[in-house]
Amino acid sequence: MSINIDVSMSIKRELVVPGSFEYLVTIADFIAEVGCEAGFDQDTIFHVQMAVDEACSNVIEHAYCGPSKGDINLCCDCQGGEWVVTIRDKGRPFDPDQVVKPKLDTDLEDIKTGGLGLYFMHQLMDSVEFTFGKDGNKLRMVKREV
Amino acid sequence: MDPEIRCFAPQGRLDALTVPEFESELRGHLDRGAARVVVDFRDVTYISSSGLRALLTARRLAKSQGGDVKLCRLSPRVYEIFEMVGFTQVFGVYDSVEIAQTAFS
Repeated sequence: MSINIDVSMSIKRELVVPGSFEYLVTIADFIAEVGCEAGFDQDTIFHVQMAVDEACSNVIEHAYCGPSKGDINLCCDCQGGEWVVTIRDKGRPFDPDQVVKPKLDTDLEDIKTGGLGLYFMHQLMDSVEFTFGKDGNKLRMVKREV
Repeated sequence: MDPEIRCFAPQGRLDALTVPEFESELRGHLDRGAARVVVDFRDVTYISSSGLRALLTARRLAKSQGGDVKLCRLSPRVYEIFEMVGFTQVFGVYDSVEIAQTAFS
């Protein structure tokens, strides 16, 4: 369900969905709605959609170790040309430093594709921060209007 | 058309939900000995990293059988994703199915 939390001069929206791949479309639609409402251009919206899709797929696959093990909570906060997406889950701790980075700049014929999702998130967003606490994983990504 | 070249056109989003079916279809062509495959992206609106991994795996399998996987009709959005990870230099990317098929010869 989508909850409207209107703050003067800013847009804040929240979405909670089950951690299942079937909901990736719902998540993409939610990001598009928020981006349009906040006035971001189509390129920015597409980049945020892709970064969030990769992040949520990682949550289901790695934090929850499979579908339907828990919820994904998304929060979008748009203010002053800055779009902050916060994704929370209650899965196992995620340490991005443990993910093997793809070797895209070496031999393209023999690309090691581990960590490709994480690579996209860093390419598409201006900032990507992972934290883990007693409430689970929290990923904070920021996209700034060009 | 060369009968040894298989062509198929996935549709919509290629994300973590739909990639297993896409991968299975790709593998199906290769396992049946058709090592030369053209994937027509005309109706694909999005491809995630899992889709790219599936293509790369299929390409390696095709290459090991003396063939290749070639791609055509990528939308600007999908092309941008391929370009971001250098896949436009790995895969042959063409404007039409016919040109992709010709590129095998």
